[in-house]
Amino acid sequence: MATTTKDTDDSDGPLARWTQRAIQNPERVYRALFYAAMAFFLVTTLFPFYWLAVLAVTPEGNLLAGSFLPTINLFGVSGTFPLPVPKGFNPAAFVTVFEQVPFHLYMLNSFALAVTTTVIVLFVASLAGYVFGRLRFPGRALLMLGILAISYFPPAAFVIPLFQAFAGNAPITVPFTDIPLFTPPRLLNTPGSMVLPFSALFMPLSIFILTTFYGQIPDGLEDAARVEGTTRLGALFRVIMPLSAPGVATASVLTFIAVYNEYFFSSIMATSPEAAKWSPIVGGILSYQTQYTTQYNLMAAASIVGVLPVVILVIVAQERIVSGLTSGALKE
Amino acid sequence: MSTETGRESQRSGALVNLMRWMENLSDTQYAYLLLVPVFVLLGVVALYPLLRTFELSLFAVSTDLTSIKFVGIDNYIGLFTGEKNRYLPGGTTFLPSSFEFTSLLNSALVITIIFAVVSVLFETLIGLGQALILDQDFYGRRWVRAAIIIPWAVPIVIQGMIFFLMFNSNVGFATPPLADLGLLAPTNTLNDTASATFIIIVADIWKTSAFMALLILAGLQSIDRGLYDVAKVAGATKWQQFKLITLPLILPTIGVAVLFRSVQAMRVYGIIDTVSSCAVVPSLSCMVVATFNTREGTSAAIAFVTAAIIGIVVMGIILWQGEDAI
Repeated sequence: MATTTKDTDDSDGPLARWTQRAIQNPERVYRALFYAAMAFFLVTTLFPFYWLAVLAVTPEGNLLAGSFLPTINLFGVSGTFPLPVPKGFNPAAFVTVFEQVPFHLYMLNSFALAVTTTVIVLFVASLAGYVFGRLRFPGRALLMLGILAISYFPPAAFVIPLFQAFAGNAPITVPFTDIPLFTPPRLLNTPGSMVLPFSALFMPLSIFILTTFYGQIPDGLEDAARVEGTTRLGALFRVIMPLSAPGVATASVLTFIAVYNEYFFSSIMATSPEAAKWSPIVGGILSYQTQYTTQYNLMAAASIVGVLPVVILVIVAQERIVSGLTSGALKE
Repeated sequence: MSTETGRESQRSGALVNLMRWMENLSDTQYAYLLLVPVFVLLGVVALYPLLRTFELSLFAVSTDLTSIKFVGIDNYIGLFTGEKNRYLPGGTTFLPSSFEFTSLLNSALVITIIFAVVSVLFETLIGLGQALILDQDFYGRRWVRAAIIIPWAVPIVIQGMIFFLMFNSNVGFATPPLADLGLLAPTNTLNDTASATFIIIVADIWKTSAFMALLILAGLQSIDRGLYDVAKVAGATKWQQFKLITLPLILPTIGVAVLFRSVQAMRVYGIIDTVSSCAVVPSLSCMVVATFNTREGTSAAIAFVTAAIIGIVVMGIILWQGEDAI
């Protein structure tokens, strides 16, 4: 199509030729618009990471000197270059970031919290997913609605009593009475104070994902396992769960990312941002913001290091994330 | 369990009995048994705290600061009359004191709603654009999709740090050009309520558009492709195809996604805490955190109002969607 129109216009410039062809074939315009939109979205989503990289490699001494937007002189017209560029190059910040604050320990804490929560959520949500996906019983719809409704509530509605309970100063009483139940142990600054709220908060999504997957396993397979002599629980963990491996993987990936990204309880339940007190990356990054207030290159380097695990996870487990979010999230 | 049986079965006797007991339960009994961990977890971490928050919101510290006393709904009345405003950080209020722009932005209730509405509106539009791109077949689609999803997976604290570094008064390159356009305050940007709110909304749009895109993409991919072939034969332009086929078919999906995201957006806290501070951009969650150590009753009342607003929206979703919501 493109070649046949070439001989019709000979004297016009390239723009006029392109327009001529576009009029004859509107498909080209849509194609151009499509690539322009795609480029726009790619630039806007990835640009912030580029900015972190620019800041991280700029030597500390040059951070405050001059603008990141250099003035350029093009054919006698001077203007501001629209893209920030590094002022010098010094990747040492990526080493310093582990020396000034034990950032690797904060990341380990985050990993430990995320893995523990994921294991708990998978176990509890598997039981619930089996019940909702495979059993018919009175109250099923109401219970699912209840879990759905609870998952919508803001963490702020739970935080005050939880903080008091985890402080372990006073006995828990039955609400609206003075009847004491028990005095909880002090859980602030321990994994328990974060894993408990995380598990409850992120469990509903996994329940809905696993309900869908467990519900799709044919009854015959479960019956066969039962005839072979497996117990009911055995059939769940030895037959249904392995057969739903994609669903289990989806729930794990989403729970892991959710915990790794959580801010609210991570910042409140770890009362001091110290790695030894189980503070996750929230504490690590914020301690750069509060203690080393002008070392912006370190803040950027820490952010890049902290974001790497989830970026890798997104690239590796893309299909799982997409299917999990689209099947489960609308319902969560 | 009897003494005649060997050591082996005696050791596992209790377990065998438990298994046999479980095998003989009816479906309903078995279902509720397996749900016990869910009930315990949600009871301890959600139900008990919710009830207790309501209880705390009915009490206030006495004037001599030594004990707490029952005050009924005084905390709520205090919130809505502005009497509790002096306990909130900075110059922030719960309800706006007047209908001027600055006073609206200083109000926790109004700014939370503004944040939710504006960010969700733009997230839906941008998400729709991204979904339309990802719905096409092209070389490298997998990588473009990964690039678009990545912001969704970025931890909130790092998202906050990115935008803090972009607009910070020392190294932030983005403030001067936007200040020239009149969108941001040229100095002290992150401590200016209007500017900080703008930045926080942009940050939220950057992170969450991808989530909307994925939900809308699922709706797009469930559309029967044959409809477009029919439209092409009938001579419809691309725009007509979009307006008459795509949009009506994905509107229900978009509706649910919008309500769901609005509820989530009303929880906003972490990004405010990282980019600016609760005294500058007072969201409802922010106010709860800022006051819960000093003014428990006030804090609990704000928390419960937040929960109630979200509860009403959720009831709306459930009634609207009915059984489909499950």
